[in-house]
Amino acid sequence: MALDLGMPILVVDDYQTMVRIIRNLLKQLGFEEVDDASDGTAALARLKNRKYGLVISDWNMEPMTGYELLRHVRADEALRTTPFIMVTAESKTENVIAAKKAGVNNYIVKPFNAATLKSKIEAVCGA
Amino acid sequence: MALAKQARQAGAGSNKPTLIRELVEIADYIAHLRNEIAALRANELTRDRLPMAHEELGSVVAATAGATNSIMNTAEEILGLPDDGNYRATVEARMNDIFEACTFQDITGQRIAKVVEALRHLESRLSRFASAVKAKDKGGIDPEEVERRVRNELLLLNGPQLNGPAVAQDEIDALFA
Repeated sequence: MALDLGMPILVVDDYQTMVRIIRNLLKQLGFEEVDDASDGTAALARLKNRKYGLVISDWNMEPMTGYELLRHVRADEALRTTPFIMVTAESKTENVIAAKKAGVNNYIVKPFNAATLKSKIEAVCGA
Repeated sequence: MALAKQARQAGAGSNKPTLIRELVEIADYIAHLRNEIAALRANELTRDRLPMAHEELGSVVAATAGATNSIMNTAEEILGLPDDGNYRATVEARMNDIFEACTFQDITGQRIAKVVEALRHLESRLSRFASAVKAKDKGGIDPEEVERRVRNELLLLNGPQLNGPAVAQDEIDALFA
């Protein structure tokens, strides 16, 4: 199954630079429908208003972290199947395991490149 | 100081030396403490060095953000260039913009060195003060710090690890295989 390049993707990060980097990488990969949010609270609001094919979220944000956002998404009947990739500098084993237990689909450690992002999106969204 | 002098005079040749001696010791200790507090130069730290460190770090943040924006603007511009006869010349010109933007590193390096120096001063003075007054840390932890640690532990908010990621991407991939 080929990737749906038209699917909307939500990028969640409190650093606009990181949002811009991910946007550009996604653009390189052919994805044009990219929205962004600066933390979990803003992301949840967006998720309630639009159906996204993928969420790519940082972990370390305030007031709502990416981990909390993930738990909210997985607890919400309407959102629980939304593919979710964590992109973060938080790479201790316990963090990865906690995210996996909470239902994350994949996990990328910063810094990363387009090839890594592409392989994770393919693994999560089915290529 | 006057108290110590009076106590010493009163104690000279006296038969009630214990109380006097203790008063003298307390007065000496207070005098010593005042000297050490003065040596701490707390006013200088809060008036000059710490605000300077704040300003320098703020400038570093602004400079890195500015440079990053310049580099990203240029990269986006290059990605959007038409594939025509001017492509190479335009890319070369834009590359020079990137090199110029990278000069931030020299300036920020110098600013960070000043902050490191200020922290070294602070550490040295606090260390000397703690040693001079034989300071012991009060038991327990600041309640705000406790709350912050609980939240960080609960949400595993550890921040980036020093010396790179604690777990490599390959090892993480194995957990998801």
